[in-house]
Amino acid sequence: MNKSQIRTAAAGLALLLAAAGAVTPAAADPTNANELRLGAYFVFYHATANDLSGPYVPPGVNLHVRDVQTLYAAYVRRLSSRFNLELALGLPPVTKTLGKGPATLGSVPYNGVVVSTARWISPTLLLNYEFLGENSWLRPYVGVGVNYTTFYDRNSTAAGDAASGGPTRLSLSASVGPAATVGLAVRIAPRWHAYASYSYSQIKSTLRADTAGEIRTTRIDFRPQALVISVGYSF
Amino acid sequence: MRRILARLAAVTAVLALAACGGSSTPSSAHDPSTSRGTLVENPPLRIASLDAPTLQADLSASASGAQLLQLTGAPTCGVDFYYLNFWTVGGADEPTESSGALMVPTGSAAACTGPRPIVLYAHGTQTDKAANIADITDPNNTEGALIAATFAAQGYIVVAPNYAGYDISTLGYHPYLDATQQSDEMIDILAAARSALPDTLSSATSDNGKLFVTGYSEGGYVAMATQRALIAAGAKVTAAAPMSGPYALEAFGDAIFFGSVDLGATVFAPLLTTGYQHAYGDIYTATTDVYSPTYASGIDTLLPSTTPLATIFASNLLPQTALFDSTTPTVTIPGNAQLSAQLTAALAVPSNPNNPDTPLFDLGFGSSYLITNAYRVSYALDAAADPDGAVPTPTAGVPLAAVVPTQTLRKAFYLNDLRNGAWAPNSPTLLCGGDQDPTVFFSINTGTMQAFWSATPAAPLISVLDVNAPPAGPFAAVQAAFQQSQAAELAFYESPAGGGNSAAAAGQLLVEGYHAAVAPFCSLAARSFFSQF
Repeated sequence: MNKSQIRTAAAGLALLLAAAGAVTPAAADPTNANELRLGAYFVFYHATANDLSGPYVPPGVNLHVRDVQTLYAAYVRRLSSRFNLELALGLPPVTKTLGKGPATLGSVPYNGVVVSTARWISPTLLLNYEFLGENSWLRPYVGVGVNYTTFYDRNSTAAGDAASGGPTRLSLSASVGPAATVGLAVRIAPRWHAYASYSYSQIKSTLRADTAGEIRTTRIDFRPQALVISVGYSF
Repeated sequence: MRRILARLAAVTAVLALAACGGSSTPSSAHDPSTSRGTLVENPPLRIASLDAPTLQADLSASASGAQLLQLTGAPTCGVDFYYLNFWTVGGADEPTESSGALMVPTGSAAACTGPRPIVLYAHGTQTDKAANIADITDPNNTEGALIAATFAAQGYIVVAPNYAGYDISTLGYHPYLDATQQSDEMIDILAAARSALPDTLSSATSDNGKLFVTGYSEGGYVAMATQRALIAAGAKVTAAAPMSGPYALEAFGDAIFFGSVDLGATVFAPLLTTGYQHAYGDIYTATTDVYSPTYASGIDTLLPSTTPLATIFASNLLPQTALFDSTTPTVTIPGNAQLSAQLTAALAVPSNPNNPDTPLFDLGFGSSYLITNAYRVSYALDAAADPDGAVPTPTAGVPLAAVVPTQTLRKAFYLNDLRNGAWAPNSPTLLCGGDQDPTVFFSINTGTMQAFWSATPAAPLISVLDVNAPPAGPFAAVQAAFQQSQAAELAFYESPAGGGNSAAAAGQLLVEGYHAAVAPFCSLAARSFFSQF
């Protein structure tokens, strides 16, 4: 995480904590202040990237990031009758990146070919505001927060190595960005709720590919939108 | 709240650790050694992979590429182009990184896979410091395309250096026509290529142990120097084909200083003096010892350059053709008026109307000249006192000067003349060129080497091909094709499409392009020659 990201994260966190501090803790029910949620995460990346730049890269070579589905888990702390703090996580999914651009690079297939895979961990901290009364069976909510994303298990596939010109080491910089969500909570039992939410976050990462000491880079602007279906248990 | 923050911090820490512990696919292995022949990255970068139809299509996309294909034939194999970074030495034996190409034939045809022969190729004079013969994606890389189409696409593994001082090399100069350095570098890239081959993406193709050495122009010289060095090292050269090279440097230098100025001399001169100055340290104390004040400043770092040659000429950093002063120097040798007069006459601007080369030689003289008369006279005096055996008057066996010259540039020519070293080829060798070559004179170089070896046991191994001679013998088709090509080019220059030049102007254009025009035909002859072994 670079200094700018640290500053962004700190500012986001401070904003959340300030907002959380503004609520009245006494309003929260201390017996059910914690909640665990589990569900499904449908991530639609909507990623855009600059054309790859570096030695021996023809114009128009770009990347496409394939959407993923994964397990969603969250810890939620009730702060008041209307505010809660949500730390959301997805089970790190394998995200596949495909070549986008020319059908071939020389004679090597490129467009539509899976050139790399990576896993990411992307915790999002959200301050949610719930509408309607605490006893209502249906409560819409909105939230804002901050997302931190880091990538690991970055692998260039055999097809990616062929397109790059040899075994390739990948790095993707970590990202800190804003996140927002809208959702609906349905009480299905005193301690059980069902949730549906739609989230948006901004992830910007610099991809650096090292093939035999030659460095190619691009800036990827992920704007992932995630549909989450989950159930939560309060305790 | 404090507990929540503590938990969050713990989660974040775990995530951060997970991220740090994540691994990526390993890239190639970087070898930190700087010893000669070390391949810096293994496997090396593959710049491009072209199957045979794609290579054919890519070459056909340009007029020059289509012409080349007509000559070389359609590719039998695909070619993978690798970029080698390796360690070698400079002219003063200083370690330096250099780069080059490894072209590997690919495909399922028997001629394209499995054990294949290696062609070790040396390219011609290049003024572009950034030139990279491995970069087949560069449309200016015509020599790379030539050797890919001629050799690699027909089943030969090609290894070719960019030369120290070019591309990624930080040497700061190019050891030009430096037999020791350039043969060392060829041997070093060969070692690097051989260590790369098993680990490339094209590892189905391997070295079958046959080694062919060739090159054109500067590279023709380098190829012959490499052949000599490999023989000295006890390595086997299956066959060699040096092409249009300035092999007999002392004789060639003498001819030029006595007025037979070749086309391109003003470019070659700074490359030569800079290279030899770094190698020997005695060419000059200041560049004004050699060069006229107009050009002396900065000439020692002028070439190679990323500035186009046309811009260098336009900026008056070099004269285009005037190597020498058009005002003839007066030579005065105390007590020898006759020799003084002879040398003064020999240094005059050529004026023999019966010599068809006179107009060409005259281009080498002007009022805004590169080399001072004083320096030219110092060279001429040395040559007169200790003449070369081939120039101006051939003597039996065309030997080098009887003793090591004292004039330092001439001494450098002597040391790097490939008659030096008491050697001869020990495997079949084809010397190819064109006898009308205005840049590297055929008879002084190729003819001298042929004559030099004619009375040695190596004579039966030596073949000489003049692509300009009447078609005959095993390369008759190459000779005929070259001559047809020249006739067609002449007709083109005279045609409206080619500029509607007069016969004289068209002839001049043909002369200017002659040296480069010979290259694909000699390369084709070399391939045909190699295919016999």
